[in-house]
Amino acid sequence: METNPAQEHKTLLAISVILFLAVLGVSWLFHGTGVVHNDLKRNIYIPSELTMPLQVKAAYNGEKIFFRYRWPAQQPSIYHDMMKFEGGQWKRYGDSVPGPQPDGIYEDRLTMLVDDGSVPEFEHYGGYITIGDRMRFFTNEAKPDEVKAHPYLGKKKGQTEVGKHLPGTRSDINNWASVLPEEELAAQRKAGYFLDLWHWRAHRSNPIDMSDDQVVAEGRFGDKGKGVFFTNWDGKKKQPVLMFEPEKTGGRAALKWDDLMQRKLGFEDLYYMREDQAKPFDPNHPWKEGDVLPRRVLRSGDGSHADISVVGKARWNDGYWEVTLARAMDTGSPEDDKIFRDHGVYTVAFAVHRDSMGSRWHYVSLPASLGLTHRGDFTAVRFQGAEPKWDQPWFDVKLFYPGQVSWPLLNSTKHAGAERIKQGVPVKFRHSEIQLAHYGVEMEFNGQIRVQWLYTLAAGILLIIGLGIALNLLLPRKEG
Amino acid sequence: MAPYHVMLVHFPIALWTVAALVIVLRTFSDGKLARAADAVLTPLLFVGMVTGAAAFAVGLLVWPTEAATSSPLARNHILLAGWSLAYWTVLWVTRWRGGERVWQGLWRWVMLGLAALGVGLQTITGTLGGYLAGNPSIVSEIVRRLGWEVFTTFYLPNWVLAAVVISAVALAALGMVGARARN
Repeated sequence: METNPAQEHKTLLAISVILFLAVLGVSWLFHGTGVVHNDLKRNIYIPSELTMPLQVKAAYNGEKIFFRYRWPAQQPSIYHDMMKFEGGQWKRYGDSVPGPQPDGIYEDRLTMLVDDGSVPEFEHYGGYITIGDRMRFFTNEAKPDEVKAHPYLGKKKGQTEVGKHLPGTRSDINNWASVLPEEELAAQRKAGYFLDLWHWRAHRSNPIDMSDDQVVAEGRFGDKGKGVFFTNWDGKKKQPVLMFEPEKTGGRAALKWDDLMQRKLGFEDLYYMREDQAKPFDPNHPWKEGDVLPRRVLRSGDGSHADISVVGKARWNDGYWEVTLARAMDTGSPEDDKIFRDHGVYTVAFAVHRDSMGSRWHYVSLPASLGLTHRGDFTAVRFQGAEPKWDQPWFDVKLFYPGQVSWPLLNSTKHAGAERIKQGVPVKFRHSEIQLAHYGVEMEFNGQIRVQWLYTLAAGILLIIGLGIALNLLLPRKEG
Repeated sequence: MAPYHVMLVHFPIALWTVAALVIVLRTFSDGKLARAADAVLTPLLFVGMVTGAAAFAVGLLVWPTEAATSSPLARNHILLAGWSLAYWTVLWVTRWRGGERVWQGLWRWVMLGLAALGVGLQTITGTLGGYLAGNPSIVSEIVRRLGWEVFTTFYLPNWVLAAVVISAVALAALGMVGARARN
């Protein structure tokens, strides 16, 4: 059968155009897939939601300052770090792991960093400045033996991981181990070069209506004094130090694993261990398979470490946590706490852990200014009396998953904005929270994405060239 | 280099936009004005290509290579700019070689479609450039709603890359089949 060449050209042209458009469509539908995935061995877990809201109010009466926080959570995570009696031994459940703790045993947390202007970069870059070289749970985290061997952080301070620290506490921000001499660190602290860290924990402080009070300087430490919890484990005997005293806990010597797994234990139940309801551990007690003892024991704490308390009851209701914390405006510990003064302006940054996730799997905020009566991003309202009325509107904060973005990285040639940081341009001038969240995720796969992007650029140009060849060869014959 | 890049990109954007308008006019009209406008289409596309290449080259010098290729937004800008340049170059070659033939029958609609796609590419490229310069626009929101979050790098999985390469070869083959049939 004879074919009409003009008709055949039309058909080939139509096929070419359809093929080109089809490939574009497929590319559009499947772009961005095939690289980003959870890889727990590399400490990579990407949360399903990259941002979340937080609402904050603040008030003060001249003596005390109050913060009220509200944030959504699918369910409250109030269990934390437990020991289960299993095959005659006490086995730990609820340690920090990449991503969500598989048994749901990891507490919700809320943290707030506070500065009074003594840490200059904090005002512009918030918590990013505390993320240094080879941080814990980064893919390239420093090994525990390296940290333990460090003469100051390991041997003197007993640290086993590289935690939050301020850049000025290192002679080289690209080297976590380059800690300044102790006398310089002491001088920095005296000058106020530290961040106050309010640290509310749903298990390790909330049941006794307290919050942990910490500080970020050359590391993250508790303030002076006794903390509000301690560890219930005797490493030598490989057994708990304390057990419940049945006379004080309704006849129970331990919790039940099944109750935890079915989340049967609520706010009004016994799901934590207080020092005053415990007694020395008795290995001869008839322990049963599935008995559980909390690995952390709560106590009232003292000194600067126990300055922050919960006002009323911090509870989860109808999908939201609502937590109110209070502290003396002047705690008398200016080297542990930022002292709040009437009409002062401070910088704060918030973070929330939820969904049974710990360590770096949290949602953080950009820095915000807080004015005490003075205007700021939000204002602490002055009131008369013992407790605020809370009739002012909420300050809405968008929190985001920060990924593996460190201060050394942000100041390196890998970051196009490194020069802007040197000029002091604030992060929020260039970046939104959702943008930072996506950047954080992509940075965890930067090498792979860069290669795939280069291939995509080349493949796209090849496709355009292919289209060009088709079009030019299928052009109608010149008349005449 | 940033100010020079910003200055230079005005030329290809303006030239390609005018070229697209000429293509629209010529698609729907065989009148005198449309033909007169079409007479400058090839030079418009050529100068657009040359200034586009210059803007692209200068753009690559704005940031250190490591920084530019580590930023999702910058990667996207480079990707779209590269594709825009290649795409409009193909349009120039086609119009230059095809002459009046590109306005015959089905061809004029193909030209219209190509111009629309070219404008789309350069619009997104310009939007991403605006973002990088600190001037975000609503266009990125439109792109987001269409399925691409511009804060994430546009890259393809391996199987789609393979499909793209195979399609590129198939397109060239289709052209050759057509050319052989004509000869």
